[in-house]
Amino acid sequence: MNLRRSIVLLLAAASPLASQGARDRLAGRVPPATLGVLDSIVQDAARDGLPTEPLIQKALEGGAKGVAADRIVAAVGASADQLRSARALLSSAGESRPSDPGEVTAVAAALSRGVSPQLVGRLSTALPGEPAGPALHAVADLVGHGFAEDSSVDLMVEGARLGLRGLRFLDVAAAAVQELQRGRSHAAALAAVRALLPQVPTPPRPAPAAVSHARRVQSSHERP
Amino acid sequence: MSHIDPQVHRVLDGEIPADELNAAQREQLAALTRAAHALSALPRASVAARVMAEVRRPPQGAGVRLAHWLTERHAVTISFRPVWSLALAAALAAVAVIPGHGPGPVIGDQEGIAQFVGRFPGAKSVDVVGSFTDWRSGAVMLRDDDHDGIWRGTVVLPVGQHEYMFVVDGERWVTDPLAGRYVDDGFGRQNALLFVRSIAR
Repeated sequence: MNLRRSIVLLLAAASPLASQGARDRLAGRVPPATLGVLDSIVQDAARDGLPTEPLIQKALEGGAKGVAADRIVAAVGASADQLRSARALLSSAGESRPSDPGEVTAVAAALSRGVSPQLVGRLSTALPGEPAGPALHAVADLVGHGFAEDSSVDLMVEGARLGLRGLRFLDVAAAAVQELQRGRSHAAALAAVRALLPQVPTPPRPAPAAVSHARRVQSSHERP
Repeated sequence: MSHIDPQVHRVLDGEIPADELNAAQREQLAALTRAAHALSALPRASVAARVMAEVRRPPQGAGVRLAHWLTERHAVTISFRPVWSLALAAALAAVAVIPGHGPGPVIGDQEGIAQFVGRFPGAKSVDVVGSFTDWRSGAVMLRDDDHDGIWRGTVVLPVGQHEYMFVVDGERWVTDPLAGRYVDDGFGRQNALLFVRSIAR
């Protein structure tokens, strides 16, 4: 039995379990008429090896917000399409972990923020063996503040070359936005941050008093 | 107190010779004579001499004095006003009854802290609802203890990406204007996007 066949069999075996878990979690939280359709979307995603948690979350969100049944189904279907696109982009970019649920979810969210699909390949190449999701979100942060997409990607690629990884890319974007808020132009802000790399400031750690007052969320669900 | 025979008394005063006493009187006289000898044998130092002797005694070491102080009995006088005692008792009772904040939750390597702040003057409740609550209400209620319209809350969340919105007064869904990072929710609104970092970073 080759590896591909084993994976397909494992996924086929896992999909009814994922579906049963989804039904249990969605029952009473979404309009009853949508349960069957949502279940089939989740089951298809599980069969394709996609993370199912974002789909369940989207359905729960629609139910909590009192959205109409057809719009919940449409939104969950769109989320599944986005996850497929993200996974395909990661695979074609030679990403070493194209099916990692966290990475697929992060890239899908970045795509929904308007990041162009071509960037996934570029940043994946700049970060071999590392998740590209945080860098993509950092680019989305910069684009959201009016920075040019190409210049933003260049800044992240330079950061990666100098050893930045993970959520540190978000610090790069935050530093650039801060320069902008100090009155610099977009070009000057990028230049100032580029000069700082890789020593961009990190966000302050939460104060001990805040940590001691923190409450644990009881109803949080384990997510991939 | 024993009684001294008058005849014995006269002998002691030298009025009569001891020969005139009978046997019992002689025995009493002998006892009195022995007692007188014993008293005369005691040192006859004056009060002044005894005080000066104490003054001239070489000073004791600090350790010896401390040992004496610790082992001797001391009289301690406490004066108090009943009203302060009642206040102290009330304060102790409050500390015992009201739950304290203690050292806080134990936070794992794959967990971090998220702080939520929102300005909602006049709101009766503000709730954070998101992927970390399975989009259920009531798990993360913010507080406005000083009634200034600023609602706050701090929670422990798993490291990674989360989406959320505020729910004001249990019915109004509001995007966090301070989040700085948003994603379309697919239902015509925007969720705030939150990245939680490990507290152990």
